[in-house]
Amino acid sequence: MKKIQMQKAFPVILLTIMLIVSFPGSRIGTAEAAEKVSYRLKWLFNMSVAGDIYADVHQFFARQGLKVTIKEGGPERDAIRELELGRAQFGVASADQVIRAVSKGATVVVIAQLFQVNPLQWMYRTDRMKIERLGDLKGHTLGVTFGGNDEAILKTLLAKANLTENDVTLFSVRYDYTPFFKKKVNFWPVYRNTQAVFLGQKLRQAGEDFAFFNPADHGVRFVANSVVTSKTMLEKRPDTVRKFTVALLRGWQAAMDQANAQKTIKTLQQYDRDSTLETLQEQLDITRRLIHPKASIPVGEIDVAAWKQTEKIMLDQRQIPGPVNVERYLKAIPEY
Amino acid sequence: MLLHRRIYQFFIIYLLAVAFLFLIKYGLDLSDYVIPGPVDVWHTGTREFSRYFSDVMNTMMVAVIGQVISIFLALLVGITGRQATWIGSFTKAAAYNVQAYPIVALAPIIFILLGDGIISRLLIAAMICYFPLLLSVIGIMSEPISDIEHFYRVTGRMRWQLEVKIRAFENMNKLTTVVAGSATLAMAGTIVAEFIAANAGIGYSIRIALFQSDLAKILIALFLIGITLSVYQGLLEVIGYLIEKGWAAK
Amino acid sequence: MYLAAQGLALKYPNTANYVFKNLSFKLAEPGFNALFGPSGVGKTSLAKIITGEIHTFSGDIRSKGMQTCLYSYNLERLPGWSSVGKHLEKITPPARRSRRDELISVFGLEELIGKRFSRLSLGQQNRVNLLRYLLQDFHLLIMDESLANVDELTREKIILKIKDMYPEAYFLYISHNVVEVSKLCNEIIVLRGGLKEPSATVVPGRNFMTGQEMERAELEQTMLEIVNASS
Repeated sequence: MKKIQMQKAFPVILLTIMLIVSFPGSRIGTAEAAEKVSYRLKWLFNMSVAGDIYADVHQFFARQGLKVTIKEGGPERDAIRELELGRAQFGVASADQVIRAVSKGATVVVIAQLFQVNPLQWMYRTDRMKIERLGDLKGHTLGVTFGGNDEAILKTLLAKANLTENDVTLFSVRYDYTPFFKKKVNFWPVYRNTQAVFLGQKLRQAGEDFAFFNPADHGVRFVANSVVTSKTMLEKRPDTVRKFTVALLRGWQAAMDQANAQKTIKTLQQYDRDSTLETLQEQLDITRRLIHPKASIPVGEIDVAAWKQTEKIMLDQRQIPGPVNVERYLKAIPEY
Repeated sequence: MLLHRRIYQFFIIYLLAVAFLFLIKYGLDLSDYVIPGPVDVWHTGTREFSRYFSDVMNTMMVAVIGQVISIFLALLVGITGRQATWIGSFTKAAAYNVQAYPIVALAPIIFILLGDGIISRLLIAAMICYFPLLLSVIGIMSEPISDIEHFYRVTGRMRWQLEVKIRAFENMNKLTTVVAGSATLAMAGTIVAEFIAANAGIGYSIRIALFQSDLAKILIALFLIGITLSVYQGLLEVIGYLIEKGWAAK
Repeated sequence: MYLAAQGLALKYPNTANYVFKNLSFKLAEPGFNALFGPSGVGKTSLAKIITGEIHTFSGDIRSKGMQTCLYSYNLERLPGWSSVGKHLEKITPPARRSRRDELISVFGLEELIGKRFSRLSLGQQNRVNLLRYLLQDFHLLIMDESLANVDELTREKIILKIKDMYPEAYFLYISHNVVEVSKLCNEIIVLRGGLKEPSATVVPGRNFMTGQEMERAELEQTMLEIVNASS
């Protein structure tokens, strides 16, 4: 009885597998006449994607003859996997994701680097700790998301200061800020341009003084979000990639332009309905400093040295088995 | 018997699933980043086995205690709630209400109130597997076995303990199935809890592996979770069978 | 002590149809009586009216000195966790232990005492079930097909023994066997269904006792009366 069922089921299973195997493959190869592309973001719609949305809403993509579908990201989304599976043509990925992917044979190419300064920083109470040198971290309880980028960054910082994990107390951070509010931990990892804004508002209301600890100030420049595409895409549709990059960076540049501040906020408000105007304004000011810190550096510029440092950090911490020479996967941005 | 069948069934399912993944991987020529290769999975397995195994055991322990708590709770509520009295229907209503809240929404409150230690994980595990247990227990306990109970009732011998005993005995198979099934829920609940907020257990390790986009680790974790759960469920079934047999042999 | 019904009527729930109507009988003397009739005429319903489990009837049912009415039926089971002997041990009042042993022997159950109820044949199960009721306090025992699946000879032996052992008690034996009820029962309440009025007639039975001689012709006469009454 069971044998017969298996025999009957087998062709069905085989057919299913063949369908699955053949379907996405055929999509990658064919050129789409209408120049429709998908762009998978790293996170939910918030200030960190202001330029992406701006480029779409204000027709920067359309002017390049592109129809871009922007897809919201999230914790379970991985743009690099989607590139390979043909579900997206462009995406946003963090540098550690890119390095990990290339070390496992993924053919991903970085076409722009959105954040010149990593927004991942630490918020700390100035009345509880003074941090001028890295050595000042000694003896404190430090919040860290185990497995996250901040763990790699913090461990690099500790190593730089010749501190071991015994010199500090590491506190495992989850989504819940209570330990920070309760002052159980006074050194807490935050995204400087998003979470930190409303956390800061709360702390100010409580009359508490705080400051930010930026690892870059202490020589650790771990790259954050970048725009990626697949090698296949770059080889088969270089023009599309160029048009996309140009449109996107023009969008970001316009969005970060002080003169367009109101326009940017209005645009984002259509997507991020939860944040107040005050929050968005503050977030935009900070985001601008992270995306476009110096007028001399164009928005999107790829900081090769920082990428190399990021790779070295990951190598030192054995997050990758061997060097990948990440610079080979970085493509200089076009003039736009 | 039941135990080894559970284990080899799990092996077959796991191997089929992994084989299917590899088939897609090589069929579509995907990199190890999207789907890890067999060698990668093997290496990850040998490297992480002992750490993940102790994580799974940790999770399992919480799940088992959580399940035992919810079994007792379900029996308690089921036995009280079986009667059509005011206190019976009140207990039933309260029990249903608690479950109406999705655990994902309750979890943060639980973690804020109780911290991210073992108590929170325990509570969430118990809450997740408690409801199906309760439904079955109430169902079983409020369904009279007239052919047996009639004699005791008309001769004035019926006590609530006897009623519970009759109904439990007559539904032993159903109870065993539900208890074994709820083990999966308790385990899943604990893992979800750990994933959300705890600092230990396999759910926590899975979260870290996800941070690092490491599917090989996830596959190893799934394997260990599956095999442990199969053994546990098999054991529960054996225990249920032995209780039934032992009870019958008295 | 007596049990009497006057003008009893019972409707099927939510319909205008009667299970029975204008049903009257009187059991004035202790003895072994029968409730006879084809399926669906309301034998079990009447039994439950007598034991007080059904209240939704009209008419009058009266008894005197009959505090304990037990209803037993042929699908009852013993709990699965103990053997027949252990169960009987538990439910037998201490004063009736010797009666229990006597009944076990008359019922032919000695071999089955160590066995579990579920292992017995249907006939054996029914005998065990009836036996335990006989060990309880009762003024009236209703036996709803309590000896189904038991062979005729054993059945007769059991009923005769019951009549000998319980001369002071009332019995209502629900059976489809016209020969059996004609021969062994004192009075036979023949139910005729709700479409006929009155819904019941009482036919006197031969009330055969241990050691008596039975006139073949008389028995046939009673059987005929029962058949006529029920048609």
